[in-house]
Amino acid sequence: MSKKVIVVGAGFTGLQLARTLVAEGVHVVLVDRDPEKVQHARNALDCTVVESDGNSPETLSEAGIATADALVTLTDDDEMNMIVCSLVDADYPDVLKIARVRNYAYYLRTKATASRHADATASGERRPLFGVDHMLNPDVEAAAAITRAMSLGAVGNVIELGGGYGIVSLPVVAGGPFDGVPICRLSKKPGWHYLVAYVESDKTAVLPNGNTMPEAGDRVGVLVSLEDIPSLMLFMGRSAEEILRTVTVFGADRVGTLVVDHHVSSRRASVFSRIFGGSPREKSREITIVDRDPHLCREAAERFNDVRVLCGDMTDADLVREESLDAVDLMVAASGNYESNLVMAAYLKSRGVKKTIALTASSEFDDVARKLGVDVAVPMRDTVVDCIVSHLRGDNVKAIHAVCNRFFEIVECEVSPSSRAAGKALSELVNDGEFLALLVQEKEGGKYSMPNGSTVIAPGARIVLVVKAGAGDEVQLFTGEA
Amino acid sequence: MVLPLLRIFSYVLALAGVSLLLPLAAAVRYGETRAAWSFAVPMAASIAAAVAITVVYRHIKAAPLSIRAAFVAVGGSWILLGFFGALPIWFSGAIKGFANCLFESISGFTTTGATVMSDVESLPRSINLWRCEMHWLGGMGVIALVVALVPILGIGGMKLIQAETTGPEKGKLTARITNTAKVLWFIYMGFTAAQTALLHFFGLSLFDSLCHAFSTLGTGGFSTRNASVGAFGNPAVEWVCTIFMLAAAVNFALYYRFFTGRVGDIWRDSEFRAFCGIVAASIALVALVQLPGSDSCSETVRDSAFQVASIVSTTGFMTADYAVWCPAAQIVVFTLFFIGGCSGSTAGGVKVVRWTVLFKQLVNELRRLVHPHGVFTLRLNGTPGRETLVVFVAPFIFVYLLLVIVTALLGAVAGLAPFESLTTALSMVGNIGPAFGDMGPTAHYGNIPDFLKCWYCVVMIAGRLEIFTLFILIGTVFSFRRNSAGSRRYN
Repeated sequence: MSKKVIVVGAGFTGLQLARTLVAEGVHVVLVDRDPEKVQHARNALDCTVVESDGNSPETLSEAGIATADALVTLTDDDEMNMIVCSLVDADYPDVLKIARVRNYAYYLRTKATASRHADATASGERRPLFGVDHMLNPDVEAAAAITRAMSLGAVGNVIELGGGYGIVSLPVVAGGPFDGVPICRLSKKPGWHYLVAYVESDKTAVLPNGNTMPEAGDRVGVLVSLEDIPSLMLFMGRSAEEILRTVTVFGADRVGTLVVDHHVSSRRASVFSRIFGGSPREKSREITIVDRDPHLCREAAERFNDVRVLCGDMTDADLVREESLDAVDLMVAASGNYESNLVMAAYLKSRGVKKTIALTASSEFDDVARKLGVDVAVPMRDTVVDCIVSHLRGDNVKAIHAVCNRFFEIVECEVSPSSRAAGKALSELVNDGEFLALLVQEKEGGKYSMPNGSTVIAPGARIVLVVKAGAGDEVQLFTGEA
Repeated sequence: MVLPLLRIFSYVLALAGVSLLLPLAAAVRYGETRAAWSFAVPMAASIAAAVAITVVYRHIKAAPLSIRAAFVAVGGSWILLGFFGALPIWFSGAIKGFANCLFESISGFTTTGATVMSDVESLPRSINLWRCEMHWLGGMGVIALVVALVPILGIGGMKLIQAETTGPEKGKLTARITNTAKVLWFIYMGFTAAQTALLHFFGLSLFDSLCHAFSTLGTGGFSTRNASVGAFGNPAVEWVCTIFMLAAAVNFALYYRFFTGRVGDIWRDSEFRAFCGIVAASIALVALVQLPGSDSCSETVRDSAFQVASIVSTTGFMTADYAVWCPAAQIVVFTLFFIGGCSGSTAGGVKVVRWTVLFKQLVNELRRLVHPHGVFTLRLNGTPGRETLVVFVAPFIFVYLLLVIVTALLGAVAGLAPFESLTTALSMVGNIGPAFGDMGPTAHYGNIPDFLKCWYCVVMIAGRLEIFTLFILIGTVFSFRRNSAGSRRYN
């Protein structure tokens, strides 16, 4: 991949994005006006760093915008992010432009609203609003990730893939079904299938073959149909997935309210399904929001009708006892203070809450979260970076999820007819790099299944792979893009 | 502040004078000579006075009304109207004694509908028409009509209308206050025309139809018959009146929304929902407790619906004497004395929205007891954050009940039995009309002492203007006298 991407803004997210892209062999140009950040980026990363304002055309042309494939604006200033994209769009409409927009009022789901908001240029070509091809709202992405985790019962980190499948990250417990058993000897289950996607120990992570033997203390990523997650949990010796009826959301700021909003509006939409029945999990959730800021509480109380809002400190044992917060099924810590999210989730878990989800700063905290007993950690920064990277990967890459501390990536892509893999059986591709095909669609728009060596890759179908992070070649094998 | 007040008073009187044209025409048509003269003289005098004031002060620029002046203008106008409306009745000699005439006139303009006459059928027809027309003018508000017709008042008009319309929240429907007043009056006229046509269609004479339509839409209660609407013995007429009484007790702003296509807003209106619930539950309760002893199911339901609609809309029409109903039904009706119609309607009483706000506050307080850290918001019409309304509503209800107690005390001093005195006080402050016991629907107010009649007049105006306006007027008059030598300005 000899792509060139300009990243404006060298904050935490910008650095992490640059690091990810550099590892993939992308030519990255970082632009930031803060000399300290620039110095730090120069030391830490193998890429070009320009110290200047991102909104000057001279800087951008110096950074090589003329030959760039994409521009990502990640400064702290929404208006700056959008204006830079808009400036570049005037001269270089072909550059893919991605802007981080934190203000919810500005944010729009670009694809859905592009047709309405686009204005036609003189040439008759339709341009997106402000020339931004993709607007990213970190809060929306994080809330979506939390909501996904909630709908899957908050059992460890679940990565949702196409065709109703998902990868569940699970610890290998001593004496459990995975402990000391080679992958090829794992017991087959009647009625449902599973597949080990990766094995992660403290030091390394490997793509499993038949002889790989997970040990107690390792973690395995298990591919399974989402419907079979309860069966998998039973198989792992855990109690069957409970219905998470009562939910406490810690934090009434943006992410928290977005999560609640999703559940409240889905409840409102389900009047029809309430009459004709529906999954009891979605409709009868009892939600409590807790925050210590009276203003945020006020706003939340005014916004949500059927949601209980409490104003107080969640570490206050009296409050927890008064409102029986320790007896709820699920606690979602989604405040803007990531450290206290972890502490709150761990505290309430220790008080008897069944499941906890915590919003953390980045996946660096995954280990800590796990050790504290938090069931699901949603890393804010990684969610954003994953989202940006999947946009940058081109049209054929549909989704990308980093796992094992960004050592592996789960890539979902569409097989291009012009690619080398199209029309070939998987066994013919064994020498073409290190990857593991998890799911293959039988044809375009068809059913997904777990492949074996004789599975033929149909052009236009989708395929889900596990590859080493930044292994662009393996992905190109299927996407055919250079 | 004297000149703007003088102007407003002259407009109000001129309007009242012009509205005498209708009973004057009726007097001429029915050959009631003395009544015709008693209408013509006040009419000519009021119009002449208005023209004189306009001409004399035509060069003086209209100063904007201060807030206090607006309250004084509205309170003063209503008192003036009461006296003005009494003049034709007094001149015609139909009712003896000026106190009786004044009571009849104020009862008319405030849409109370309490009469001093035991035999209204003996009155000249033109006087009966004037009594009902007073209801109609007072129902939507004379000031509102003046604002609608006199564009000069557009600037201070909002303050005037705020001092006159009912309910804790007063807003504009359209960008211009004169347009809002026009819209409301047009809807009001449309309903009146519709009811007149329907009543005439079901067999009433045009005269009776118009009188009862005036009386119903203004939620007044004067009738041309001694036995009120019951005298016609016509079920269709009773149902028409029931429906229009309820319609007049609904916020007229909702009709505007309905006609402009915002139907969704209507069901989101908390007050409207509560009103529908109260009416439906009351009718069902009254009908259910009476059904066991009744001969005709349809008659019981019709009577229950009519009486409930009459009391909750504070009209005061009667087709049955609820004072002889079974105790349970009487208590339901007694409860309705406290409720009243919706804000922004022509009905009186405390208004449903105030009770709705208090009820919601009660629910929140209960929730707060169980969840001391909980954050709760008061939602009215789907809009959150309306806690401040409680601050306006609670003192109103306090002063309302205080006025009821004082009035009940005076009634008892004058010799009324305790329960009668209490219900009569509720009836006067709420502009309802009939009360219980000896002051029940079949009785009249002719026999009470004059001082009590005068106090009831004050109370009726206070109730119609929702008390505060009159308090400010009284306060201004007293402070004006105290400081008239000083240099303080009143605006």
